[in-house]
Amino acid sequence: MSETTLYDAIVIGSGMTGGWAAKELTEKGLKTLVLEAGRSIVPEEDYVEHVPAWEMKFRGTGDRLRMRNDQPIQSTCYACDEWSSKFFVSDREHPYTTEAGKPFRWIRGRQVGGRSIMWGRQSYRWSDLDFEANLRDGTAIDWPIRYADIAPWYDHVEQFAGISGEALGLPQLPDSKFLPPMELNCAEKVVREAMAKHFPGERVLTIGRAAILTQNHGGRAACHYCGPCERGCITRSYFSSVNATLPAAEKTGRMTLRPYSVVHSLIFDARTRKATGVRVIDAQSRAALEFHGKVIFLCASALESVRILFNSSTTEFPNGLANSSGELGHNLMDHIMGAGAVATIPGNEDRIVLGRRPNGVYMPRFRNVKTRHREFLRGYAFQGGAERDGWDRGVKQTGFGANFKQSISRPGPWRFTFYGFGECLPNRNNYIEIDKEKMDAWGIPVLKIHCAWSENELALREDMKITAAEMLAAAGGLKIETFMEEDPPGFAIHEMGTARMGRDAKTSVLNAHNQAHDVKNLFITDGGAMVSSSCVNPSLTYMALTARACDYAVTQMKKGEL
Amino acid sequence: MMNRRDALQLLATGAALQLAPAKMMAAFREARAVLAAQSTLKTLDLHQDATVKAMAEMILPRTETPGAADVGAADFIDLMLTEWYQDSERSRFLAGLTDVDARSQDLFHNDFVECTANQQAVILNQLGEQMIEDELTRAEAAKSVGPPPEASSSFYSMLRWLTLTAYYTSEDGATLELHYQIIPDRHAGCVEITLPKEALPKEGPQPQ
Repeated sequence: MSETTLYDAIVIGSGMTGGWAAKELTEKGLKTLVLEAGRSIVPEEDYVEHVPAWEMKFRGTGDRLRMRNDQPIQSTCYACDEWSSKFFVSDREHPYTTEAGKPFRWIRGRQVGGRSIMWGRQSYRWSDLDFEANLRDGTAIDWPIRYADIAPWYDHVEQFAGISGEALGLPQLPDSKFLPPMELNCAEKVVREAMAKHFPGERVLTIGRAAILTQNHGGRAACHYCGPCERGCITRSYFSSVNATLPAAEKTGRMTLRPYSVVHSLIFDARTRKATGVRVIDAQSRAALEFHGKVIFLCASALESVRILFNSSTTEFPNGLANSSGELGHNLMDHIMGAGAVATIPGNEDRIVLGRRPNGVYMPRFRNVKTRHREFLRGYAFQGGAERDGWDRGVKQTGFGANFKQSISRPGPWRFTFYGFGECLPNRNNYIEIDKEKMDAWGIPVLKIHCAWSENELALREDMKITAAEMLAAAGGLKIETFMEEDPPGFAIHEMGTARMGRDAKTSVLNAHNQAHDVKNLFITDGGAMVSSSCVNPSLTYMALTARACDYAVTQMKKGEL
Repeated sequence: MMNRRDALQLLATGAALQLAPAKMMAAFREARAVLAAQSTLKTLDLHQDATVKAMAEMILPRTETPGAADVGAADFIDLMLTEWYQDSERSRFLAGLTDVDARSQDLFHNDFVECTANQQAVILNQLGEQMIEDELTRAEAAKSVGPPPEASSSFYSMLRWLTLTAYYTSEDGATLELHYQIIPDRHAGCVEITLPKEALPKEGPQPQ
């Protein structure tokens, strides 16, 4: 069945970037269809952040046997718990395959809002240390843009989204247009002072820069510190497309949001060399539908967007639509994480935190910033923070009785954790392809993922462990323990790079405006566009690139170029 | 016909002891049958339930705040054994309960629930020592070559995790004991503890 309406724009995906595309395009006057594969979200019903543990059947420990069966991959994510597992896909309905010996953990959300509902909210600008990185060390291809190209668009998205944080004036981590920062807690203040004393001018501890409002902003309320953002937020205090961009798009009266619309492929017209529409499978009725638009924004995530393009092959593009370069699906990156150290920070035993701050601390990258490290390229940043141990410490103790109860009901020692996130180099051998043998629940061929860490990433992870312990020692930490979680790629949930930007159509999929070299009315503005990975959380950059691409697309449309 | 309340009273106060032995046994049987018929337990039998209740209350007794029994810890443990644990874990837990009685029979010639408080404390201390030893053995085995050590928790550490989780995630445990507020009064990063407004930052349990 083919709908007769010709939309000005079709946006595929309603998550982090789809929400921005919907807002920007509708606000610029475009009649826009937003296609979302998953269900609708009704905040009043679906958000469960204020449901206490005692109202949950398993008291927050999760419906373990069901999750092991339906969500064996998703449930490894910290945010996929008894409350919020409904925001993560069923692994049985959404399979993918990997090469033997190369596991990849793909964490996904399919509903209006996508993963912007459960994201970590950490929001940082990238810098020219990142945009020039490939050129400087001769890796892959150069970014076609620099910080100056994207800076006004960071301003633009930050002013709408609301980013709280502390201005530091660091070249490697440019400041945002900040709302007031959240407060460091007692032990974090101790570590911050120690860093300033022992690593002056090199290592700075600051509060996480988070897309969480610290004051009322744009019709959304300031955070009330209930804690578990990944379960939703009825006061819309953290940024998500459901909380912020989709309501703005809705307000224009120009958005048609269609949930349960699983995009199978794009329709390509070889004569005009344009993508003229989208083939959709209705997730409920299984009906095959077609929708038509003048410009198409792929915002379905680095892996899903490319899967759609692979499934859109034509005689002209036998290896995937917009893939004359052969780079589509290649250069898959994530962040390498999970190494660091934890220690007890003595002092402040008579002090506590009030409320549950949904944010940690951040230490911007310090390796290969001013000096050159001999063992690896690029660098890493630390996230983490301190909290007082809770009652669960009593499980491993042997005490019992009234004194034991009183002791573990009181706050335990201050424990501070440094947890590293390292840059991943673009590598052509890390790639995705269609697995013709396997279909998802809608009969659409799934992805086979080939991805593994390189020596450089493993060296970064080793160094994280060492520097974390060294800093905790400098801060007077006791009982210092290092750790290294050997997670496979994907688990930082920062997958990117599969449809990279570039200056040359022979070596890249997109141009400097996220526009496909091969198909002029096709834009990819999710993580697929990234040319390198930085060590910095990418969502804010995806948002800025999306807004920038929308501005360019509308300008080109007005000029009659699209 | 005896009702649940009568049955509880009979068993708790020993009122039946004043009856002739034959009648007493019949009264006990009837009382147990009444309770069993009304029990919502799915995995634990009444004796196991009584043992779990007694152990949980010893770990987290009623003080000026409610204890494990007040918040129904044993019911939560029965639910977890029925719907949360895998078969092998459930078997390990139930075998652990049997072992508790074996220990108390060995030392005091009585089932755990029939022992005095002091005798029960001896058993809990033994189980605690065993838990620490197992932990060390596992840590040592993890360092050596060969097959990876058994990662599963012992009966006693399962019981402790279940009891603490049942208590601190209950409404009374969270609000009366931890002063947990769903929506806090305010956020502040570093303030002096002012009892009884002290609020623990932790809410969720940490699965074992």
